[in-house]
Amino acid sequence: MESHEVEITISRSGQVQALVKGAKGKACLQYAELLARIVGEISDQRFTSEYYEPDSEVHIDLEQKQGS
Amino acid sequence: MSTVIILTPVIIGGWPVITAAVSGAAAALGFVVRDAAQAVHQQTQQAAENVQSAEIELENSEVLAENLATDEAMVVEKGGIQLKIWRDERGRCRVCAEGKGRSKAELESVARQFSERLTQCFVYNRVMSELKARGFQVVNEEMTQDESVRIHVRRWEG
Repeated sequence: MESHEVEITISRSGQVQALVKGAKGKACLQYAELLARIVGEISDQRFTSEYYEPDSEVHIDLEQKQGS
Repeated sequence: MSTVIILTPVIIGGWPVITAAVSGAAAALGFVVRDAAQAVHQQTQQAAENVQSAEIELENSEVLAENLATDEAMVVEKGGIQLKIWRDERGRCRVCAEGKGRSKAELESVARQFSERLTQCFVYNRVMSELKARGFQVVNEEMTQDESVRIHVRRWEG
């Protein structure tokens, strides 16, 4: 078991910054996709060293309820 | 750390979701929710009294019609400034500020500040409900000094 953490900051004007921690390799792309589906459009994304480590497993249901 | 993402919010939802965010923004900024029908009647009376107004569109917004009546609106008020929030004919969310003896620039600033807080409340409500529904645990949430909301969530994998 490994812990994946996301720190989301919603500014006073509604802009969102999310920091994904613990998800290695392509797993963090799934978190980015999930956050884009929930919040809106990705305007910038930066990868850090952990992204280039071997992939960790992630199983997120991206198709859950939308925009009700 | 593996990735940092910057997102521009898109406000899509039915009227109940929007009104929940309006109520949150009103509470945060000290506005009081008013009875819309009464407020519109008062607005009609004020029209003859040279009341200034300013109107803005909530960026990237789409209010789903669903069971929404075309004339449905929500009205909030603070310090003699009244804000009307409604869905226009294109489905966009609009905010109109009115106030006697106020400048157009001041009213536009109030409407913009409210729409930004409305966006923050909408995003907060959506993020919390969607992440909880997907099994994320909320580790911490706080309001920072610059009035940003910081949410820390965790999920176990493997």
